[in-house]
This record gives sequence, C-alpha cells and structure tokens, in this order.
Amino acid sequence: MSSLFPNSGRASPGTAFTLPQSKAGGAARLVTIFGSLDSHGASRVHYVFDVGKPAYSEIVRPANGPLRSIAHELPSAAWHERELHDQYGFEIVGQPDLRPLIFHDNWPDGVHPMIDRVDDVPWIKREYHFLQVQGEGIAEVAVGPVHAGIIEPGHFRFSVVGDTILHLELRHFYTHKGTEKLFEGKSAEDGAMLAESVSGDNCIAHAVCYSQAIEDACRIEVPPRASAIRLIGLEFERLVCHVSDIGGLCTDVGFSVAAAYATRLKESLLQASTQCCGTRYWRGVVVPGGLRFDFDSARVAELAQVVVRASRDFSKIARTILETPSIQNRFETAGVLSREAARDLAVVGPIARASGMDLDVRRDHPYGGYGNYRIEVPVTHYGDVMARARIRIAEAAVSAQLIQEAARDLPDGSAFTPVASQGDVQGFSSVESPRGELCYWVEVRGGHVTRCHIKSPSFQNWPAMPLAVAGNIIADFPLINKSFNLSYSGCDR
Amino acid sequence: MIGDVIEQSLRQRSPLIPVEALLGNCDGSRMPEILADRLTRDIAQKLIEVCPTSALGIEEREGRPCLRLSYGQCIGCGKCVEASQGAAVVAKQFNRCGVAKERTMLLWDIDGRVEVRALVPSPEEARGQIHSLLQRALNVRQLDPGSCNGCEAEITALTNPYYDLERFGIHFVASPKHADMLLVTGPVTRNMADAVKATYEAVPAPKLVVAVGACGCSGGIFAGSHAIVGAVDAVIPVDAYIPGCPPTPAMLITGIIEALRRCIAK
Repeated sequence: MSSLFPNSGRASPGTAFTLPQSKAGGAARLVTIFGSLDSHGASRVHYVFDVGKPAYSEIVRPANGPLRSIAHELPSAAWHERELHDQYGFEIVGQPDLRPLIFHDNWPDGVHPMIDRVDDVPWIKREYHFLQVQGEGIAEVAVGPVHAGIIEPGHFRFSVVGDTILHLELRHFYTHKGTEKLFEGKSAEDGAMLAESVSGDNCIAHAVCYSQAIEDACRIEVPPRASAIRLIGLEFERLVCHVSDIGGLCTDVGFSVAAAYATRLKESLLQASTQCCGTRYWRGVVVPGGLRFDFDSARVAELAQVVVRASRDFSKIARTILETPSIQNRFETAGVLSREAARDLAVVGPIARASGMDLDVRRDHPYGGYGNYRIEVPVTHYGDVMARARIRIAEAAVSAQLIQEAARDLPDGSAFTPVASQGDVQGFSSVESPRGELCYWVEVRGGHVTRCHIKSPSFQNWPAMPLAVAGNIIADFPLINKSFNLSYSGCDR
Repeated sequence: MIGDVIEQSLRQRSPLIPVEALLGNCDGSRMPEILADRLTRDIAQKLIEVCPTSALGIEEREGRPCLRLSYGQCIGCGKCVEASQGAAVVAKQFNRCGVAKERTMLLWDIDGRVEVRALVPSPEEARGQIHSLLQRALNVRQLDPGSCNGCEAEITALTNPYYDLERFGIHFVASPKHADMLLVTGPVTRNMADAVKATYEAVPAPKLVVAVGACGCSGGIFAGSHAIVGAVDAVIPVDAYIPGCPPTPAMLITGIIEALRRCIAK
C-alpha cells in the first residue's frame, strides 16, 4: 500500500481551514471543489458546501502554495482533489491517492490544461498501478473500456474469490473531452449548446443549470413563462430517464416483456416531445435568459396529455414488475449502499434517496418555477437495487404530476429576457437532474465565458458504486451498475 | 401478473413504423435545408456568423462566392433557420445518411442562387432496393469512443417496438469479432484512441465502418479540444457518415441501410 500512496500519512505543510458545519449539525455536505484563475492570472480554489436550506456556502482560497487535502475528513473530496491536481497542477498535501484521474497513460506528467498550453501535447507511455488485492484464490477480472453492449466506455477491475467480488476499482475518464476548457471564450449563449452535450440524456438539466448560472452572474430574472416551460422540460426528462432505467433493469434480469413495454412508453414520450418543441430531447430550447423560442400553449397541453397516459401505463407496469417474485429475488438485497457510505461520499440523487439521505435540490434550494409547488421527495433506507427502482418509480409519478400542474398553470407573456453582462461576473446554479444534484459555476468577462465548472452527479456518485458492489457476485454487477445508471460522459466531461 | 402485461400489450395496436415511412425521415433532428432562390450575400454572411460549429461557410468556386453546408458538422441547433429570413428551413426529408463524406457537403452559388451540382451527384433511389436488402443479415457492433451518450440513447431506441431493427435482419452484437459493421459515435478522445484501433483490428474483413452523429463525422461541438484526437476518420477508415446531433432513429436506419446498399453495390 505505502508505495502506491506515497503521500499518505505525511505531515501537512499546506494551510488548514475549518470545514463548515451544517445547520442540522455535523459536517456540511461537500458539493464540489474546483480551481479558477482571477483577473490577474493567480490561482484560486473554490470549495462549495451545502450547509442546509436555502443557500450554498462557497469558500474561496488562494492557491499560491501547497493545499492541504480534506479527503481524510471528507472522503467525498478525493476525486475532486485528484481532478484539481490533474487540471491545475496544484500540490495537494496529505491526499492519499494522487494517481492521475483524468489523463491516462498517454498524457505527460506536468501538463495541466487549465494553466498550460495544450495545442500540441506529446504522446507518451506511462504506467498506471491498480490496487492489487493479494491472497490465496484471488483472481482479477478486467472489464472495459469497450463494453459488450450499447453503452459508454469505462474500465472496471474486479478482484474476486470465486464468484464473489472482494473489491472493485474504477478507472474512468475515457470519454474526457476537455469540456470545461472548451467553454472558455464562448459567448454566454453558445455555451448552452456545449452544456447540452455534456451528458446527452440529461441535456435539459445541463442547459437549464448552465443558463441559470449565467443568469445568476448577470443578475437576470427569467420570465415566469420560460421558468414554467423549463420546469416541464426538467420533469419530462426525469420521467423519460426513470422509465428508461426501469426498462433497463428489466432487460438486465431477462424480463423482456416489461423491458419492451418500457421502451415503448419512452418512445411515445420522445415522439410527443418532437411534436411539442421540434427535438426529441429538447436540444436547442433553453438559453440564458429563457427559451430560444416560445412554445405553443396548445402543444404543451398535448404533451401533458401524453404524459398522463404514459404515466398511468407506467405505474401499471411498474406494479407488475415489483410484484413479480423472480424480480424481487434479483432486486432485493443486491448491491446495498449503506447510509454511512452514501453520506461519507456525499452521494446525491435517487441513489442517495434510496440509501436514506433526504435531499433534493428542487425542495432544498428551489430554483426556477419550483418555488410554486410542494415537491414530494420519496426516501427509503434499504439501499439495494429494489430501493433504487422503487425511488425511480415514485419519482416518475411525482414528475408526471408536476408536468400536469405546470401545464395547467402555464403563464402568458414573453419567454425570453435579453442577457447583457458587464465587467467580470460570476454565477452559481444547481439543478436536480434525473441523476441528482448538478451544479454549474461560471465566470463571464466582457460577455464571454472565461471559466465554467461542471459538477455532475455522476462524478460524485461513481466512487460509491464499488462499495455497493463488494460482497455481491460478479453476475449481479450489470444489474447493480444499471440500478445506479451513472453517466460516463457526464462524469468524465 | 405477467399475464396482465402481455394481455395489455396484445390489445394495443402494433406501433411498428413501416420502412417506407422511416427512410429519409428526419423529424426531430432539425437538420437545415437551404432554399437557394432566397439566398443573398447578406443572408449567407449572417448564416455563417451564427453557426456555432462552422458547418456553414463561404468558399470561392471558379471565382464565385459559394455557401457551403457540411451536414457532418451540423448539430441542428436551428440558429441558421432563425437568422435566415426564410432562406433556411428545417428539412422535411433528409437523404444524406449513410453516404460518403463528400456527399455530406452541399454547395450553393450565392449570386446565381443555385446549388452547385458538380460536387454532389443526385441521390440514387434507395427505396426500390430495400426489400432485397432485407433478406440479408448484418451484425453491428456499436462503439463509443467519447460520445455524450445522446447517440447511444437513439441507437438503443432502434430496438424498441417502433423501429425494431431486427426486422431488417440487423442485430447488435457484443463482440467486434462477431461484427460486420462498426457503428461509431462521438469524437475519438485521447484516452480512447488505442481502444478504437484495437476494436477495429478485431472486426473481421470486410469491415464496414459508419461514423455517427456530428461528433463522429467531424468532432462536432468538441472539435479542437486538447482531449480529443478528432472525428472517427482521424483514427480508423470510415465508409459512411450519418449526420445529426443526435441522428434520430429514422436517420440511423436510413443510414445503416444506405451504407449496406452502397457496400453491396461496390
């Protein structure tokens, strides 16, 4: 162990700071850590915490010397600090694992895209050490990055005894596209299109979150009509994702009839979306200031009608799925994520709510049109595949209800306010995406984005998956992985 | 319990979309179409200014200014349609799926207000040949070298009861060793470049490679990033291109069938 983690246990010369406490007591939940450069080019590190309703707390510290790792107090900080090290080259003292996270074997040491020139980075070959589990009868199973199916790339390294998984190590960031750097220099409006391509099946959440951050920076109020339509879009996306996830779970246990039924419902929703706004996934709809174009209210009402039917059919099929004994046999007690592990790793979204953590950005930090509605947040504490399925089924019903209400109350008026930004401004925003809390932090100077940080729920949740997998048999891994349904592209960016 | 589901399914009409309605359909992709008779120099200039991915550009051809549209770079954002004063509209039909790279590019003489045909041969009629293609089998391996997952979502939709790709004898397989065709989405990231080459090597010859989506065709919105190598053809040879961001299931089916047809015609 010691040769693999040379920094562990060393004394900490970096300056310490007091971690904030939550209003409810105990350490505040870490939301994200990221770097930026001020207008003179000096490095800063931003720590964002959730201290309890309604606001987030941001701590900005200069990064002109070594930083002290907070990963020992808050394990949820580990990946954030490794990314900071890769992107900015900050020395992070006391971080137990400083292996490269984002850049792989072909990337030279000492090249940090956020501060260095990267037009012609040489290709090299360096080594990466996986954690090795040693002992009698232990075998290693390497899976990926290319997987057997229509899925994104990532690498899983299992250490198994017979069928039982002792340890799983993730290696991700195969789909890293330097997205945060690509935002630099874009106009505030064009950034929305890039945000839509961060995680293709959560594109409304990303576009809304990015736009809200720009609106926060430029101190702009979005017209109520735009907020209401955004809310419909966000809930529509959640409904589509949850229906799709339940179908995926059925596919993974060979329950083809229910799986086909779910894909059929999903397709009916996507086709209704084309009728309503011209694209299947609402691409090119949301921009800073509101919506790119106004919606026809009659079309919104039609979409709400399709949602009513799909939601009714979905609840029927969901009941059947949950009552099927062979499904119960596979789903129950598989892949348990304990509440303690979920809390330590600051897990968010349906995964957190299935492990007893009662959090939802829509209720705790209301944004857009959400202040107008009472948001019901289902929570359960079992933490297994079944719990995650039940949470998604319950949330789909809540989303369908919200779409009804928002479509019924749809205000008139304009759907766009022009965005004008003066000087050097920053904005922060968070959105409850289908996978959980999504945050954007943006800096705009002279109308152009100079820094955009994306904290995706998948980045936060991936490190928790190995903990849910340990002790299960390897044949249950695809099911457990599907029940998390994390985005690779959203995580890798 | 399961009986209820099956019974309910049986009582509903099949949602299967006939192949004739799928070919050339591009609803939901917002691919633009240029109406050459409305083009002016001012409008052309405006179009290239609003395009976020340089899919639209102005080129000289025989001393005349021409508007170029590379569908492989287009993400269907609709900004050109908004800015065009009627010279660009959302296409109702789209026949540039599964074609060779040069056919994803169109050119119009701005002053003459006509399409420059020399560059783009007129599309062959594919429909008549579809039924003969349906007797064959095609094994497809999907490969994601860095996509945002948008194309994957649409490719997954191909197996739903509306599109049912299996009816054409087209199957998705788990191993590249079983594949006739590689369907490659997204830009190739630096971290995936080796895996893409290894996957291509593993496919038995003759291998048909189809680049999918704006990112697969050109790098799309990620073009120029330090963390990507480029479009799919920057790493492995590509036979056919399917534009769109993401291409809709109908465009994917059109593209796969067209790529297959071209391969057989060769």
